[in-house]
Parts: sequence; structure tokens; C-alpha cells
Amino acid sequence: MIALIVLIPVFVTVVLAFRPQLQSTSHSFFTLENFTYVFSQTQVLTWLRNSLIVTLATVVVAILVAAPAGYVLSRSRSKAISGYALMLFIAQSFPQIVSIVPLFVLFAKFNLVDNLFGLAILYVSITISVATWMMAAYFDTIPVALEEAAWIDGCSLFGGFVRIVLRNSLPGVLSTAIFAFLLAWSDFLIAVVFLRSDTNFTLPIGLQTFFSTNSTEWGYVMAVSVVVLVPPVIVFSFLNRYFSIGGIGGSLAGH
Amino acid sequence: MTSTQTRSSGVLNGLSRARRGVGLGGRSEHAPRPPRRFSTRSITLTLLVIPSVVLVVLIYGYPAIYSVFQSLHDGNLVEVGEFVGLENYRIVLHNPVFWQSVEFTILYCVVGVFGSWVVGLALALLLRKRMYGRSFLKTLLLLPWVVPVVVTATAWKWLVATPSSVVPRLAEDLGLGQLLFLDSPGLAKTIVIAYKIWLSFPFMMLMASAALAGVENDLYEAARVDGASSWQQFRRITLPLIARSTYISWILMFIFCIGDFQSIYLLTGGGPVSSTSTLVVLAYETVFGNFQTGPGVAIGIIMTVVSVLVSVVLFRRIKKVQIS
Repeated sequence: MIALIVLIPVFVTVVLAFRPQLQSTSHSFFTLENFTYVFSQTQVLTWLRNSLIVTLATVVVAILVAAPAGYVLSRSRSKAISGYALMLFIAQSFPQIVSIVPLFVLFAKFNLVDNLFGLAILYVSITISVATWMMAAYFDTIPVALEEAAWIDGCSLFGGFVRIVLRNSLPGVLSTAIFAFLLAWSDFLIAVVFLRSDTNFTLPIGLQTFFSTNSTEWGYVMAVSVVVLVPPVIVFSFLNRYFSIGGIGGSLAGH
Repeated sequence: MTSTQTRSSGVLNGLSRARRGVGLGGRSEHAPRPPRRFSTRSITLTLLVIPSVVLVVLIYGYPAIYSVFQSLHDGNLVEVGEFVGLENYRIVLHNPVFWQSVEFTILYCVVGVFGSWVVGLALALLLRKRMYGRSFLKTLLLLPWVVPVVVTATAWKWLVATPSSVVPRLAEDLGLGQLLFLDSPGLAKTIVIAYKIWLSFPFMMLMASAALAGVENDLYEAARVDGASSWQQFRRITLPLIARSTYISWILMFIFCIGDFQSIYLLTGGGPVSSTSTLVVLAYETVFGNFQTGPGVAIGIIMTVVSVLVSVVLFRRIKKVQIS
């Protein structure tokens, strides 16, 4: 019952996407014409491709950066690392809006404005704090004794990290990946500032172009909305068994 | 293989911090630190953390310094402009719209944090009960957080925006008269905050669920034997035991609320007459709408200082919270 009330906005989107436009000739209750229109007349496919490229790049790089950092955060007790943990925390409480103007100037120098690669770099950086905490929280649950045994057998520290810790951290890695995916997939602020040409738009920006000044074609808007919401929902429903974010509390309090 | 590799090194601690009681090993927390030295081990650890540090310094450190610089000049997006000292801050502080935004930002954060916490905690408590389709329900309840904001903001808009939308029509049928949700400041504020709570409760629910999972059932058993009511159990057992996680979720949610641009901008654009504009939206509008880079960045700086201070103070408080 609660779930039903909560999900009204999501249902509305899906239902309207399959309903004919007001001025349309068909009077059936269910139609695909909104979808055929947006796929054939607009650049939805290009936007979808851009979104997929940027998001996947973000997820891969975020894991590559956050997993080693999370490992160090989880295993090290040095002062410097505690300082770094605080730095991550301050970075997280830094409003994006403040850094976006200077970054725009910086990225313009390197030709990274209106560029999907530049966008991915920014997305990795906004996920970095939470991703690192999530990884650290998961690594905390893996006994150090396992690594110690490996070191005695002549394994290097890095070898132990990769072969013992990472190999046993699939749920942690997947959680972090899902988190990075959701953030990158749905970002609007960074994309709206950094993307200039419509061939580079990601889906959220593309969707906004449908809100014209005079009348909004709700059917088309909702059809694109469905395209935007399907990938995260699919990813989440298949992988939510692995998803846990609650651990970051412990990882934060530990430092 | 060097001898340092088998000796315990200062950078590694035992399982004093591992939670969920996994295994036992390593040293006690009070093991003496070995003398500092540059072992291969500490070099490896440093190398592992370097990419992350570089990224943070580049994407957070550099803009932080540069934006302070920008706020002291009257430049624009491309040029630095003249040095004007604190002029931009004076302009901002004398602007009534700024103070209006401060007011709404406080309201938005406070109601957003506590509203989503109450809803999230209530649902987390409900979901502890064994019932049919529990995991499916849990997944459904996470949807507001999983579905991108652009989509849900659009749907919310469709539900309330025009006089012929669903919610205004319902209101009219109930005899509440003509309600134009996005045209009256009061109603627009309500909608924006309600939307924020709707977006955020899944996150709070996840945090609360994780914390509740760590509370032993025996405690409740004992309390029941002693004749404690369920409210007393909640007040005396549940709340104190999840206090730490609660504080952390408040801090994180505060950070998410104060920095949240997307949900407000997409739902109301900060209108009507900037009544729903928080400091973030105002900063964006000032920089990208009115092309007043200096004042816009100054708003951002003021916001950052406050939000970093609040989080760090709260964060320090948490570390003092001892689990008795």
C-alpha cells in the first residue's frame, strides 16, 4: 500500500509513455507511437550511446581508483591516511556548484569541455569519496589474517591485495559500481554546464530539450523518460542482492 | 623476500576495526609501533592511494583555491578581471534575494534531513518484520533513488504543474479550491521539500536497515520479559544503539541537501519569484543566468564554508559518541 503511493510518479511516467498524444489519430489505450517518433525523429539513440559510454567509463575508472585507496584506508593507521580520510570527507561536503566554474575554465584549456571523456573524469571525481568509503567498509570485513598467511608464503602486499582481498570482495566492488553508475547516469548539473553540442548530449540533457516554451509534448517526454529509467532499474533489480551502502557509516566513524 | 615483509608493520592493524565479527587475527590495538622506515610495504601503500589523492587535489583542491581568487575579482567565465577585494561579498550580502535563499536553504535542509530520516527509519522498522514479498517491496521502495532525477522531476511536474493536472483537480474535487502548485510560493516550497523527502528516504532506509541489522534480538527478548512496551523498546534500545549510524546519515543527508541543485532546478527552476531557490540554485543563476561570475562564486564560497564547518563539527561530535 505504502509502496503504491510512493511509486505513483514512476507509474505515471510509464503509463503516459504508452498513451497516444492528445491530437493523435489513434484512440487505443496502448500505443507505441511515442517511441517510434522519438527513436526516428530525435537523437535519443545518440544520447543513449553517449550516456552508456560515459557511465561505463566512470564505473571502471572509479573502481580502479577507489579500490586501492579504500584498501589503504581500511588497513593503514598512519596519521597521513587519517588526514586523507578527512580530506575525502571535506571534498564530499564541497558543493559541486563552487568547483564547476573553475573546472570549466581549466577544462576549456585542455579542450575537455563538450567532451565525453572530460565528463567521465568529472563523474569519477564526484563519486570518489563515497566509493572509497564503500570499498573500505567492505575490506574491513575481510580478516587481515588471510593476507598475512599469503605474505608468509611470499606474496607481496600488492599481490595480497589483488589475489586475496579483491578476489573476495565482489559484493563490495559491485555495490560501488552500482553507486557510481547511478550517479553518472542521472547527473544533470555537470552535463548541462559542460555539454554544448547536441550530438554530445547525455540522456538527461536530451530529455530537457523537449520542454519547449509553448507546449510540452508529454507523450514524447515520457517515452524518453522510460528510455532513461530502464537501464538503472534493470541494473539495480539484477544486482540489488549485492548492493549495500549501510557500511559506509562504520567506515566513516572508524577514522 | 625481505625480512620486513614478515614482520608486522606499523601501517597494518589487526581486526580491531573490522565489523560484523569476522574472524580474529592480527595484533591487539595496543601493539607497539615498529620504528618508522621506508619499507617496500609503505611505498606500495602510498602508490595505491596516489591516483585518488591526485584526483581529489586536482578536482577539489585547485577549484577551491581558484574560486576564492575569482570571488575577489570582477571577471567573467573567460577573463580574470580587476581585483575588487570584498566587493562581490558586499553585493551578495546586500541582496535581499540572498537572505531569502538562506532562509529557504535552512528550511529545505532541516525538513529534508529529518523528514527523510523519519520516513526511512519507519520503513526500515516495518521491513524488519518477516512478511510476504519483503525483498521485492524493498526493491520497489528504492526506486525513487534509483530512477534518475530528470525523470521523476518530470513526472512530479506533470502531476502538479498545470490547473488540469491530476493533483490540482483532486484538490478541487475535495473543495480546496483552485490550487496552483507551482505559482504560489508557499505551495511550491511544500512541493519542492516533499519531492526531496521522496527522493531521499530510500537512502536513509538503507542506512537505517544496515544499522538495525546489527542490533541483537536478545535485547528485545529481555526487554519484553521485563515488560517494556514497544515504544519503550524503541526509545531505550533501538535508538541508542543506532545513534552513531543515525548521526552519520544526518550529516551525509545534510551534505546532499545543501548541494542539491538538480531536483529544485528541474522541478521549479527556483521559482516562482525565486521562492524555492536555495543557495546552490541562486549561485547557478547568478553565474550562468546573469553572468555575474564574481558574486555567484562568492555565494558558493559562503555556502562551502558553512557546509564544511557544519559537517566537520558534527563529524567530530560523532567520534565522541561512545557505544555503551
